[in-house]
Amino acid sequence: MDQTRNQPSAGKFLSWFIPVGRQVGGWAFALNRLTAIGLTVYLFLHLFILGKLAQGPGAYDQFLELTENPLIKLGEWAVVVAVLLHGLNGIRIVLTSFGVGVTRQRQLFFGFMIVALLLILMFTVRMY
Amino acid sequence: MSQSTSSSYISAPRPGETSWLWLIKIVTGPLLILVFILHLTVNHYIGSLPSGLMTYADVVHYYQNPIIPAIEILFLITVVTHSLIGLRGIILDMNPSRPVLRAINWFFSLLGVFSVIYGIWLVLAIASKGGK
Amino acid sequence: MTESWKITLRMFRQKENQDSHFDDFQMDVKPDEYVLDAVERAWAFHDRTICFRHACHHSTCGACGMRVNGVEKLTCITLIRDVTHHGATLKVEPLRNFPVVSDLAVDMGSFYRKMEAVGARAVLPVTEAEIENPPSKWDADDSQYIRLSDCLECGLCMSACPIMATTPEYLGPAPLAAAQDQGLKRKPELLSIVDCEDGVWRCHSAFECTAVCPSFVDPARRIMNLRTQVVDMRLRKLFGKA
Repeated sequence: MDQTRNQPSAGKFLSWFIPVGRQVGGWAFALNRLTAIGLTVYLFLHLFILGKLAQGPGAYDQFLELTENPLIKLGEWAVVVAVLLHGLNGIRIVLTSFGVGVTRQRQLFFGFMIVALLLILMFTVRMY
Repeated sequence: MSQSTSSSYISAPRPGETSWLWLIKIVTGPLLILVFILHLTVNHYIGSLPSGLMTYADVVHYYQNPIIPAIEILFLITVVTHSLIGLRGIILDMNPSRPVLRAINWFFSLLGVFSVIYGIWLVLAIASKGGK
Repeated sequence: MTESWKITLRMFRQKENQDSHFDDFQMDVKPDEYVLDAVERAWAFHDRTICFRHACHHSTCGACGMRVNGVEKLTCITLIRDVTHHGATLKVEPLRNFPVVSDLAVDMGSFYRKMEAVGARAVLPVTEAEIENPPSKWDADDSQYIRLSDCLECGLCMSACPIMATTPEYLGPAPLAAAQDQGLKRKPELLSIVDCEDGVWRCHSAFECTAVCPSFVDPARRIMNLRTQVVDMRLRKLFGKA
């Protein structure tokens, strides 16, 4: 009997990021997981790139010119957006994990995301 | 009816992810928010120029104040810990086998320790450049 | 004047050793009937080989859980008017994360084993149940009065949980809620079962379980509470039983 289908399997990890038919909490989970992975990649990239500082003023200042590239600037903007989304959703998780606001987790999510949006707008205006 | 699942579900709990790792993750989270705001603010809005630390010389000068390396090292340890514990959690959600999990544990531990040592070295190296 | 709707019931079909597919049944239904009624009529008058589970028809037994238009529901209490409209399609599929036995019936064995492993209670004394407006103080003999546990063991939460999709060993929302219901103080032997990788730490606060639970168990809240119970007990052990 082919019972392998419809069973849990590691290969279904993509379903985490496609919250079709899911509710608010499922979307929050997908967002948090996506930003977590993105930020981890950025973190280790950032640590590696900063090694250029040790190569002296020439290498570092040359690298800084690269960061004027609009694509890089967009990437930096994306990092701050990711931090805001992940961080504020994380606060919601900390609160609910300790029993605060558990019955209102949907409202908490919407509230925090509105704050995130405002901060993102403020940051974008400042950056550009 | 044929059984495709094992007859006894509960095996011994797998070692590793106990309350401590989760506690560390959930404590480093809010701590990171505070430290990150600090890091972003000083790196991009303060410094000798209105647009923040823009050249190698700016960075070296900025690192002369001992508070700065201290904050940066704190930030480094907190973010590497939070990030790697979180990433390990994501991998655990994919039900790795015991040998794979052991390998991941070793790899992440080494990566974490190495990253922190490297980061501390870098911070101190930059700070020391200003003495010349 | 009773309304009548014409809908297409799109049903997931899978028999032994065959690939799955969807069958469409053109049906006349009344909007105030339940999805389960439509499934039963499809079986009775269109195709006697359809396999599905049902029993009490009033949200007590938990047998009729399915995915209706992709969302987990107890079909005996899901009104047709709430999930489709005249001339539209109504899609029914089996629950996720359980092997399909036949069509809409899945093998819930692993789930029942997990419930047994945590010693889930079907009935509990009313003094331990979470009821609305409990008295400020129970009398000594009030614990003789027992109450059915809220959990129907319907498995909707296990289907909705995004972690259950990738980790079969994860205890899952209902077993963890059943463990919380008993309390780690009262049953400390549960600590090692829930404080492990496949226990309470696999939950990532998606809250999908609570969103689909038809019986007000609120498993997500219970898992959060269980986490604090585990941390509390571990801290006590660390500093010597306080």
